[in-house]
Amino acid sequence: MTQNIHEDVDVITIYRSENTGTLPLKIRWRKRDYLMSKLGYHHIERVGRDLHHIFHVANDHLAFRLRHDTSNLSWKLEEVSDGNPD
Amino acid sequence: MEIPISTDLALTMHIDLNSCFATIEQQANPLLRGKVLVVAAYGTENACILAPSIEAKRYGIKTGMRIKEARYLYPDLVIRTPDAPKYRDVHLKFKKIFQDYSPNVYPKSIDEAVIDFRPTQVLFPDLVAVGREIKQRMKEEIGEWIVCSIGIAPNRFLAKLSAGLHKPDGLTVIDHKNLMEVYASCELLDFCGINTRYQARLNSWGIYTPLDFFQASSFALHKQVFKSIVGSHWYHRLRGYEVDDQEFEMKSIGQQYALQKPTANPLELSRLLMKLCEKMGRRLRYAQMQAHGIHIGIRYQDYSYWHHGEKVPAELYTTPELYKRAWTVLSHQPNPNVISLLSVHCFDLSPAAQSQLELFNEHKLRHRKVSAAVDQLNNIYGEFVVTPATMMKMNDTILDRIAFGRIRELENGFFS
Repeated sequence: MTQNIHEDVDVITIYRSENTGTLPLKIRWRKRDYLMSKLGYHHIERVGRDLHHIFHVANDHLAFRLRHDTSNLSWKLEEVSDGNPD
Repeated sequence: MEIPISTDLALTMHIDLNSCFATIEQQANPLLRGKVLVVAAYGTENACILAPSIEAKRYGIKTGMRIKEARYLYPDLVIRTPDAPKYRDVHLKFKKIFQDYSPNVYPKSIDEAVIDFRPTQVLFPDLVAVGREIKQRMKEEIGEWIVCSIGIAPNRFLAKLSAGLHKPDGLTVIDHKNLMEVYASCELLDFCGINTRYQARLNSWGIYTPLDFFQASSFALHKQVFKSIVGSHWYHRLRGYEVDDQEFEMKSIGQQYALQKPTANPLELSRLLMKLCEKMGRRLRYAQMQAHGIHIGIRYQDYSYWHHGEKVPAELYTTPELYKRAWTVLSHQPNPNVISLLSVHCFDLSPAAQSQLELFNEHKLRHRKVSAAVDQLNNIYGEFVVTPATMMKMNDTILDRIAFGRIRELENGFFS
């Protein structure tokens, strides 16, 4: 099931210079912590002159779509999915 | 005069991402990998499937089916809606990889490209090895779930045919040595450019297989079957000669919208038409063009179709100019009915700099300046931040979509 969320979240990122670059490692959403193990895809999106980074990250149970707005350095959780049919 | 099969080296490579949108979704979300997944226009039961995953194709699910039809084949279907910016990003990444091998890279659609190795054949003598390297780089630089089929041949037509022979993850070469063998193993409908109607036309002249097609004379194809230069092009194409390396100018710009809720309400339609005209106008002005004609196409709920185009003496450039003219054309419908699909195109394009000032329309220049200012604001603060009042509260209507076929604006940087 996939759910649209659009809520601000706390995020801890890690930067790995040798391979994957930046990975949102830990997310705190609705007072629960989620540790990420995989970066599925990262891309950028321009909203006017603002640059947004979109991270698709996952652990063994859930996948998250996160939006990082570089104009105010905020993080938004846009979508959560468990990979199952709706 | 009969022409022999081309013995030119196979220097054209066609690369096709397999189940593009679905594979990208599986790349982004590892929990979807291996699942029967489709990317559909909407999440509703009547929505059209745009891309089934490789797993979904194994159950017979195809592009163009409705979700409810696909559920008969596989009830636990996972449905995703399109994420256009993500697909454009993948396209730009794979194009960047291809440009490392040749300056002549021609994107054919969001998931296909042709690389012409003629300028760099000395640097890359073994194209099969290059093909394997490209597959590996796509996995490393885009994502490990991304798979593509590659075809290598002397011309674009055969390269595309060979890319389609072994899916997914194929790497096939067609040249003068195995050409007849390939033709013997495929059908007319496997050829890009031959649809069921062309097939019927070929059948009516006794051409039932690719080998029959190949053996038909140039005269028969040109003068009898196709009755135009198209027949001669097919004659050369089938023998491995390049006839498809022509780049065409942009002749029209248009937008289309399949209405989620079909309507005949003039107010609803005016709002939809305004948004389509605004999107079309943005693209027109980005290309620094102006139009001299408007075309409206309508599909009614009963699947009947009406379309009408008009040329106009004055140039169309700003969104209000486009909208006014489009609404006039729309009002020419002979039998207005419930509309399920609305498309608008502007045509007869010319450079915007060549605009003629009008003696009795002193506001024209002022309107263009206002239009430029609004475009500038939208460039800075995001699309549809400043819009015509008719478009108020239309944020989620007419979503960002990927066009089928050539995607010129992506290549020109409109979306970057």
